[in-house]
Amino acid sequence: MEGFIPRRFVVAEFKTTDALLEGTRKMRDKGHAQVDTHTPYPVHGLEEALGIRRVRIPTLVLLAALTGIVVAYSMMWFMNKVDFPINVGNRPAHAPPAFIPITFELMVLLGGTTAFFGLFALLKLPQPYHPVFEWDAFTRSSVDGFFLSVEVPAGEDPSDAANDARIVGAADVQVIVEPER
Amino acid sequence: MSLYATSHAAADPIEPRPLIEGTQTDRSINDSLLDHVWRGAGRGWWLCFSIALAMFGLLIISLTYVVLTGIGVWGNNIPVGWAFDIINFVWWIGIGHAGTLISAILLLFQQKWRTSINRFAEAMTLFAVMCALIFPIFHTGRPWFALYWLLPYPSVQGIWPQFKSPLVWDVFAVTTYFTISLLFWYLGLIPDLAAMLDSSRSKLRRAVCGIFAMGWRGSGRHWDEYKWAYLLLAGLSTPLVLSVHSVVSFDFATSLLPGWHTTIFPPYFVAGAIFSGFGMVLTWMVPARQFLGLKHVITMRHIENMNKVMLATGLMVSFGYLMEHFIAWYSGNAFEFSVFYRVRQRGPFAPIYWLMISCNVLIPNILWWKKARTNLAITWFVALLVNVGMWCERFVIIVTSLHRDFLPGSWGGYAPTWVDICLFTGTIGFFSTAMLLFLKFVPAVAVTEVKELRHEMAHDSATAAAEGH
Repeated sequence: MEGFIPRRFVVAEFKTTDALLEGTRKMRDKGHAQVDTHTPYPVHGLEEALGIRRVRIPTLVLLAALTGIVVAYSMMWFMNKVDFPINVGNRPAHAPPAFIPITFELMVLLGGTTAFFGLFALLKLPQPYHPVFEWDAFTRSSVDGFFLSVEVPAGEDPSDAANDARIVGAADVQVIVEPER
Repeated sequence: MSLYATSHAAADPIEPRPLIEGTQTDRSINDSLLDHVWRGAGRGWWLCFSIALAMFGLLIISLTYVVLTGIGVWGNNIPVGWAFDIINFVWWIGIGHAGTLISAILLLFQQKWRTSINRFAEAMTLFAVMCALIFPIFHTGRPWFALYWLLPYPSVQGIWPQFKSPLVWDVFAVTTYFTISLLFWYLGLIPDLAAMLDSSRSKLRRAVCGIFAMGWRGSGRHWDEYKWAYLLLAGLSTPLVLSVHSVVSFDFATSLLPGWHTTIFPPYFVAGAIFSGFGMVLTWMVPARQFLGLKHVITMRHIENMNKVMLATGLMVSFGYLMEHFIAWYSGNAFEFSVFYRVRQRGPFAPIYWLMISCNVLIPNILWWKKARTNLAITWFVALLVNVGMWCERFVIIVTSLHRDFLPGSWGGYAPTWVDICLFTGTIGFFSTAMLLFLKFVPAVAVTEVKELRHEMAHDSATAAAEGH
């Protein structure tokens, strides 16, 4: 394939979560911007070490939940009051208390589905292939290993990042060059 | 003192029983919790599975018969226009509630013991809701038209659903409940699927797990959003689960029938739902932890805690019964009084009423004793009887109120037909089949969450040791 520029990653394994936390902080201090970690479970303090300031999913869910409320209520009002009022026992066609349950349910439905599908949109998943998977040892990242990965910007030498990773306490370091498929 | 029991605390009588037994590492948890997925099905599993499958076959046959002939083959008829269909619907929906309570409400309350049992209970929720949905869908007679009546879409008739009807609320509540439960369950499963992918060597398994794990790579940036999404889903599920059975109870409470027309129904239905749900969780979990080798993560402390929830919700249900009877007397309404004090206690269905009282009010009180709560045989029998009792409760509410209403001239009787019984048995078969397949192919315990809990506990005890406690 023409014009294929392989992505290059430096992946490093740490023995403990504490070592990973410290290593992550130090790698960022050394000026590596594209640092990520790979752990089998969320580790407390990593978001801070990675310098994540804002989580975007709550805003999305809030907007979706509000949309759910508006859509549900206006739908019922339009259908039962404007378009086709059904008179049963002369009860009001627009009946706010009776509209509460469905308004609530649609708030939950839209909020919940957005929490799920919005998450995958934000994380760009499903993404079955990622260069970090090239390293065999990386299979431990979902079992009992704590990994750090640095994407090396084009034009830079990956051995610098690899050396830095060793200095900050990595037990094992691997340079990965994305193979052409 | 650490809030979480640590592994060394087992010998200490003052510390609570541990949540994870033995000395475990991430690797040992991973291997022991995935073991039941990797190893082949044993003879016991095949035996249970064939029985379940046979019962499921009964469901297929009876549903086909119902669709081909019409719902006239059911035993319900005027005045008992609702019977097995609604009883089973309410019973199954209620059973589902324990899963959401464990996965969402206990998460918000930061109850660490939910971790080993949430996956299992959530799966149960999904299958129970599926069983429940069979009844309202098939009671329409022609289920392929069901969407046409239930959902608001612009049809050629130009008419819309009546949104003031609790039955329409039910449609929205139950479908939302199913959707959210499914998404919540799957979201929790993704990191475990990644662990399964990485721990498996067979090509087929890797392909299947790979598809469902969606390329999860445990990224720190992903975990951060993931934790929020999980928490938000829990936050949305908590009021949702309370709303679902409240809405189900509105189907009854908004009518004028004696025994149904009462304001206590929503909370009393929710308590009953959680009560029966924990009954079903325990009925399955007591044998499952034994056969799947999960005793180190589903410990006696989990069993005891679940028993305590069952006792507490059982007492709430008892209080509900007490209040119903009190109001029937205190209101001075002759019809209410008659239903509660004559029809139910001495009418033709009195044995079912007294079975309900024994199973729901009397027997669970044995759980006041620690010896009973920590005895697996007693736990299992009480749980089983709670399931029976809660089914009887729905029967008592629905059938006894309908067969003796205001005018003696319109009184009647009720008997289920063989189709009713086969349908009910069939849903139990479907539920069991689905549960057995789940226990065979999916990790029954949330591996990632147990690892995280172990990590937290180890961290806490290390901190406590450093501080000299």
